[in-house]
Amino acid sequence: MRFELFIAARYLRAKRRQAVVGVITAISVIGVAAGVAALIIALAITNGMRRDLQERLLGSTAHVDLMRVAADGMKDWRPLLERLRKVPHVTAAAPGLYGQVLISHGVRSGGGLIKGVLPEDEKTVGDLLQKIVEGSADALEPVSDAAAAQGLPAIVIGKDMAEDIGVRVGDSVMVTSPQGDLTPLGLVPKYQKYLVVGIFRSGFYQYDSSYAFMRLKDAQRLFSEPDLISVISFKVDDLYKADQVAKVIEQEAGKGFQTTSWMEQNRELFRALKLEQIVTFIVLALIVCVAALNILIALTMMVMEKTKDIAVLMSFGVTEEQVRRIFLLQGLLISVIGTALGLVVGYGASWAGGHYRFPLDAAVYSIDYLPFAPRAWDAVVVAAVSLGVSLVATIYPSSSAAKVLPAEALRYE
Amino acid sequence: MSNGFDGNTSLQPLPVSSGPSVVLRAEGLTKVYPAVAGAALGEVELFRGLDLTVHAGEMVAIVGDSGAGKSSLLHLLAALDKPTAGEVWCGESRLSTFTPKQAAEFRNREVGYVWQFHYLLPEFTALENIAMPLLARGMGRAAALEKAAFWLNEVGLSARGQHRSGELSGGEQQRISLARALVTEPEILLADEPTGDLDTRTGVAVFELIQGLHQAHGLTSILVTHNLDFAARCGRMLRLRQGRLEEQKNL
Ligand SMILES: Nc1ncnc2c1ncn2[C@@H]1O[C@H](COP(=O)(O)OP(=O)(O)OP(=O)(O)O)[C@@H](O)[C@H]1O
Ligand SMILES: [Mg+2]
Repeated sequence: MRFELFIAARYLRAKRRQAVVGVITAISVIGVAAGVAALIIALAITNGMRRDLQERLLGSTAHVDLMRVAADGMKDWRPLLERLRKVPHVTAAAPGLYGQVLISHGVRSGGGLIKGVLPEDEKTVGDLLQKIVEGSADALEPVSDAAAAQGLPAIVIGKDMAEDIGVRVGDSVMVTSPQGDLTPLGLVPKYQKYLVVGIFRSGFYQYDSSYAFMRLKDAQRLFSEPDLISVISFKVDDLYKADQVAKVIEQEAGKGFQTTSWMEQNRELFRALKLEQIVTFIVLALIVCVAALNILIALTMMVMEKTKDIAVLMSFGVTEEQVRRIFLLQGLLISVIGTALGLVVGYGASWAGGHYRFPLDAAVYSIDYLPFAPRAWDAVVVAAVSLGVSLVATIYPSSSAAKVLPAEALRYE
Repeated sequence: MSNGFDGNTSLQPLPVSSGPSVVLRAEGLTKVYPAVAGAALGEVELFRGLDLTVHAGEMVAIVGDSGAGKSSLLHLLAALDKPTAGEVWCGESRLSTFTPKQAAEFRNREVGYVWQFHYLLPEFTALENIAMPLLARGMGRAAALEKAAFWLNEVGLSARGQHRSGELSGGEQQRISLARALVTEPEILLADEPTGDLDTRTGVAVFELIQGLHQAHGLTSILVTHNLDFAARCGRMLRLRQGRLEEQKNL
């Protein structure tokens, strides 16, 4: 192998008799490098996007939610909550009461999902209450019922909803619950005025346009549910084990309970992201294929240029296998140099992109800079693809080199 | 591929004689280039039933008209090509039985080949060119270059080892290719018009170099040449005519 490498390396470095072969060789190296760099950068961006999305999503939502299978809610929830907090890998747990409502301000109104929370607990499982852009969530803190009975109860709503119904901090909104009171006149929806004390913005339209928070007590009063909750939300120490932890929680809670993890809730989203990444990979891998085509052309021309030299090598005992390997190694050398160059450029650009943040229009993309998250593993995959494709490209030229008949090639000068 | 065993079933092992041993023997050698359908090429028969015996230490000159088939004959003797029929023996080996790998090994170890053109590899220095057959068989670089340096000196060019072939004169190039042919210390040297491309004086020098090395290293040599003067100075002269080798009486 040493001999073959010696010849191959020298052939690559030497000045070409036909300049065009040298030019195509250089183009092949650049092509491989460009393809590899593009792949690394694109993977870093898609990975960064995914990580960014995941971080924000997981900040906003709990990792695992526990609910009743039936619609009856949890009555004696305090001991259950204490018990579930002790499940291994659970780092936080918070009770909540969900209810569909209509939130209106003057003549404008919109559907919303109320979550009654204990703010201290809620902050440990989701950060929507920390993403206040206007006002503050402090007014949700427990106050004595007497104090609460005085002014209006507080509510925190999302930015998009606030814009939809046209409210600002300090305005009051009317919250109407379909779970009304039964009166002699039939079911009368229950309504109650709330003071908007804070507006949050998570960046997810789903949350910002429909979520609203109030104290658990206030929600229970609104929905006429005495000391009842509908969900316990959990944070776990390892996101990717959320599914397993969810199963343990479910078992611990006993019959009649079910859990969903963030993975289940967002499966479609992450599947779409994964698909996008695969498509990006395939499209960019085509660049590598084009580069490999250049390798094929460069090597084929080189074999044609060197037919006599190949015959001479064979005349003093170089075997067909050795000749094949000489050209195979040349292709691999081109590919290795190009790939190495591409990796350096790709990771360099990704690093620079992350370091000197590339600004984006936050209104359009919901993030204000392009996230780069290069992974070492990508280098392995990309290099394997690049070298593999190049290796395929060397098959034809190297076997045609091995087929040179020395007696024919050396007949006439 | 026909190797012509059928016509040679009577081949006997070489008789043990008291004289110098037989190094190379061709028996019933036939080379026919088949007609190429489509192209306007008829069948070309170069020779049929050609016999040749070369003893150790001989220097044989082969002369003949252009197109007589001298180069083709040397290709067969070097296992660079296969005969249509007949057999070439080198010692106990039958060349027609060689696998491609064995043929390569044979060319690497048993024969040195020189052409009319030097065929040095332009990307390599003279010394590397000479060392090439040794490197090809897996010898370490230092050892190969050391041997190459010895042969560079043998052809009288010790000062030009680091030059590439493009920087050498025609005569120098041919000396380097001679050194490359001999660096493996083969038993047989095959030279196909090695002086054909050189001017008279350089040609004489190269011929005399070959002659000197032939004697100094106990080679068995076959020299194809158009130069009857050189041919006459070899121990034996054969003329290839109409597919037969005729012994020529020395003048
Ligand atoms: N592949 C082939 N197909 C058909 N004919 C061929 C082929 N190769 C060689 N020949 C013919 O074989 C003949 C002998 O060629 P060869 O080169 O052996 O002659 P030569 O004696 O060495 O001639 P010269 O002195 O000019 O070198 C030529 O007429 C040539 O055209
Ligand atoms: Mg010839």
